Amino acid sequence: MSASSGPADLARTWRLPPPWALLAAILLIICAEVGGASMARFKLEIARWARSLMLARPDVHGLVGVRDVDERILDEALVKVDAGLRLFHLHAEGMGLVIIVTTTVAATLVASGRARTALIVLFTVGGAGYPLGYLLWSGLIPVVGLTRAKVIAEWLIWIPFGGTTIVALWWLAGAVALRLRRP
Amino acid sequence: MSRPPLIVVLLAVVILALGETGGASISQLRPAIERYAAARIAANRDAHGLSGSAEYDDEVRERSTYTAEAGLSFFHTHAEGMGLVLFFASTLVASVVPGRPLRALLYVLLSLGALFPLGYLAYGIAVLELGRESGVELAERWVLSPLGLSAMAGLVGLAVALLGAMRRGRESVAG
Repeated sequence: MSASSGPADLARTWRLPPPWALLAAILLIICAEVGGASMARFKLEIARWARSLMLARPDVHGLVGVRDVDERILDEALVKVDAGLRLFHLHAEGMGLVIIVTTTVAATLVASGRARTALIVLFTVGGAGYPLGYLLWSGLIPVVGLTRAKVIAEWLIWIPFGGTTIVALWWLAGAVALRLRRP
Repeated sequence: MSRPPLIVVLLAVVILALGETGGASISQLRPAIERYAAARIAANRDAHGLSGSAEYDDEVRERSTYTAEAGLSFFHTHAEGMGLVLFFASTLVASVVPGRPLRALLYVLLSLGALFPLGYLAYGIAVLELGRESGVELAERWVLSPLGLSAMAGLVGLAVALLGAMRRGRESVAG
């Protein structure tokens, strides 16, 4: 690979994307690794913390004071809290790599300087932001309940940041396809 | 690092884009997907062995819908993964494999292998159209296995080429 500076040429080697895009990808992968390790190390503490928050908000979670009913509700919410952390770990690992790959392709194959910069920004922001939605979802479940937590994470993070990445990916696919048609 | 041919890069980006779009669709269109699945199961009632007994039929419908949704979910995760695999593996092929014919062969094998996730789309559709067992068997035998084998063959070929490059490197240092 070579460092990216000027406009993309027809070189047969990859150009590196800007350092800030690579840094964002590496930081995201580090967060994923730390998140995965913390999930395992602090599983009990996280469950206790979530449980205490839920018990302090019986109305939010529909707790009725009957142990058999409440335990089922608490268990379901705790499973979702854990799932949110797992999905953060998985998506942050994956999106870190997706940022590296897509920004490399954009840096190398997108001829227009403005389009190249826009794509690199979209991939970095979308890719780095999206996995945080799972952390937010997980953290909000004990506070606002399952349904509201999902709606908030969806509208604040998943739809805007995920949408950004999807739009950028199809834009990049179009740019590479156009490049294929050139003699 | 050398870059693979544009067509291979395009395929890697398209597979990633399909994976992302598939993931978003699963989340946003879940009720519509469930309705579609229920309609297809009802239209193929013999294939699913629906008996007319509400309790039994509900269980069959639930299992088939779950399997079809699992196919979509596997499509999302495998497309994300295989897009990245194609990018990195084909970059290594472009950088270390000597000889155009061998490089071309590995590109073809890896590109076919990158289509593996589409097998899970076929899996989801086949389950609804042919019934759970028959659908899974058809997708595994005719789509997932050949494409998966192609990916494995491409990666083994790349590993052998890397070993060859390591040996050549040692010989040139010794010489």
